[in-house]
Amino acid sequence: MSDFDAIDSLLDAVGPEAELPPCQVRRELRERARLSKAQVARALGVSPSTLSGWENGRDPAGEIRTKYAYLLDGLNTKLATETAAGTATGTEAALAAEQPLASDTAATVTPSSSPDPGQDEDGDDVEPLVVPEPCVLCGHPAAQRVAGFAQHLAPADCRPTATGALDTRPQPEPATPQPPNPSQPDRHASHTSRGSHPVRSTPPARRAFQEPSGPVDLIHEAVRDTLTEHQGDADAATAALLKKAIPDAMRLLDATRKGARYDVIAHPWIPDILKKQTARGADQIWEARPKWTRRELPPGRHEVTALDINGAYLSALKTHLPLGQLEHSTGLAHDRRRSGVHLITPPEWDHEAVLPHPIGQRDEPGPLWVTEPTLRLLLRLSGPKHQLCAPPQIHESYTSGATENLLEKFRIALKDARDTAIEQGDTVTLEYVKAMYSKFVSTMGESNYNRELYRPDWMHLIRSQAFANLWLKALRAHDEGLAVVRAMGTDELHVIGDWRRVFAEGRGVTEVKVKDTYTAGTDAGEYTAIAGEEE
Amino acid sequence: MPERNIDFGRFGARGIKGSDAVARKLDELAGGIVTPVTVQRGWMARLHYLTKSAQTLKAARDAGLTVTPRTLKTWLEGRRRPSRANLERIDQAYRTVRRHNVARHLLKRLSRDGRGTRVEIHPLDQSQVPQPLRRVVEYRTMNVRRWDRIVGSWAAGDRQGLDAAWQDTIIDLGSQWGQYEYVTNVGFAA
Repeated sequence: MSDFDAIDSLLDAVGPEAELPPCQVRRELRERARLSKAQVARALGVSPSTLSGWENGRDPAGEIRTKYAYLLDGLNTKLATETAAGTATGTEAALAAEQPLASDTAATVTPSSSPDPGQDEDGDDVEPLVVPEPCVLCGHPAAQRVAGFAQHLAPADCRPTATGALDTRPQPEPATPQPPNPSQPDRHASHTSRGSHPVRSTPPARRAFQEPSGPVDLIHEAVRDTLTEHQGDADAATAALLKKAIPDAMRLLDATRKGARYDVIAHPWIPDILKKQTARGADQIWEARPKWTRRELPPGRHEVTALDINGAYLSALKTHLPLGQLEHSTGLAHDRRRSGVHLITPPEWDHEAVLPHPIGQRDEPGPLWVTEPTLRLLLRLSGPKHQLCAPPQIHESYTSGATENLLEKFRIALKDARDTAIEQGDTVTLEYVKAMYSKFVSTMGESNYNRELYRPDWMHLIRSQAFANLWLKALRAHDEGLAVVRAMGTDELHVIGDWRRVFAEGRGVTEVKVKDTYTAGTDAGEYTAIAGEEE
Repeated sequence: MPERNIDFGRFGARGIKGSDAVARKLDELAGGIVTPVTVQRGWMARLHYLTKSAQTLKAARDAGLTVTPRTLKTWLEGRRRPSRANLERIDQAYRTVRRHNVARHLLKRLSRDGRGTRVEIHPLDQSQVPQPLRRVVEYRTMNVRRWDRIVGSWAAGDRQGLDAAWQDTIIDLGSQWGQYEYVTNVGFAA
């Protein structure tokens, strides 16, 4: 194929969008023609549920829209002529049911632009072949392909197999879609092309009947449905959406794991260290939440900026999550392909004056159970690049084979919905997405609010990842010459200096936003505790 | 039955009976008093539960708490402490009555109007089995729709009945169901 063909077809595709009748009319046309959704969907190459979407308020786009418009137009014309003629023979009706786009006479469906049935051989379903392929009926080379099968258009060309060289099979005449009526040479040719270009059919997708929409549509659909239910009352809709955020997040997770390599194992055996000691107590895992304020400010008065990391837990969904049941091991070195919780003795930290300890404010000395992100952070900081501390000592581990991509699609769907919502100023979706990811993380452990997923290990890992991400931001600020004043919780970072050259300002998940600015320190340069802290 | 294990653990495999794992999980879902019966807080809470109404008291008596009303009164007033044998009986009666009370609700939750509950079956632990004798046993999930026999025999404390009911359920796993007679864990939520 020459390059110009591709350009031609591209140019063909650009143009005004085809007009579609309203949704009720679409459905009515199909039902009056006694076509099932499945038949029409098969002919259009979409799934039946997509088709019902189009009949219930959604609109197709692009090439498929043109096809759909063409179908509806054809049905419209055909039904009009049928009512005028008043009769349709049974065989023809059966034929029409078998091949939805076929018609009893070619002229009825052919648009008025080409009323001559003799000219419509160059149909949508008929593709000319550059290299002739054996006809499925007679085996002789045919120059056209009809509905995916290479065959001759006229029965006269289709000679019976004379020599068995190409095809020794018995003539499959009754089973093949051969024209049943010689007076009607081509029932597939009812489809005319737009203009003179032969329209190339799109190559088939890798999977048949796949919804073109992604899981992000689940979010938009839920928001739209709730808004209609509450007659557009944003507050009531938000409240209703927040209530069903947890089951909806689980549904979204299921949707994003379709066809995925790993199962989400929801109820594995859980080691005792991950079980709560009492009903309201905590388990033994240390999540390394930073809670650090610099002891002394550099001399002088300073403008401190309190930065807020956007969607910290949303970003933290990308972390190494153990897939299966956690297995116990002792005295082994860290394995990068596994993830879990580890009993370590943390190293000494000598930079408390300028940077928080990576394991947070731990009062008790001695070994403690930390999660994978904390351990990886410590290993990274002890590595040759940073050399900020000694490597941690690992005593025991509960680990399992891990992947970083388990929640990746889920995260991307939520992130996309969040970005769109911010762009459009859609507070309902924004609140909904926020509730979805934050509640998903907080209830994925032993919570009674989400009984479908009992993974306290994941909950700890995701939280620790958020803290580790904040810590790394603090390190980055420090390396770029800013003075880090405070690192607190999951998303709070106070810095002195021109932070705009280090972090981008905005509302995206890679950006930061300003929570507050205040002045601290003394002119004299003597020791002062930071006062006037605002949340 | 050829699928049944005759001498489980002979080559070092470790696991528990699938039905025991189910009973454990159902007990976990049923919840209840966690304080051990041996401390006063624990047995007192159980006694309060068992004497809340005439019905529960009758159920407790049927479950083996055969003491006179006078003794019960002295226990509840804290004047005397149950003997060790009676503590055992209190615990047993509490467990039976609690299971019986929770069973109906649990059954409804698990059946979910006939949609059933997804059950995860975690295979037995082969880490101690010599390498040539190890077999590939995969993690499996199945949807269980009929819970009445399982929950019923669990509530009645009928271990064999539960085992039979569970056996009949896991047959749906296909021809390898015998590999899942012993498991490390059975997970489901209600």
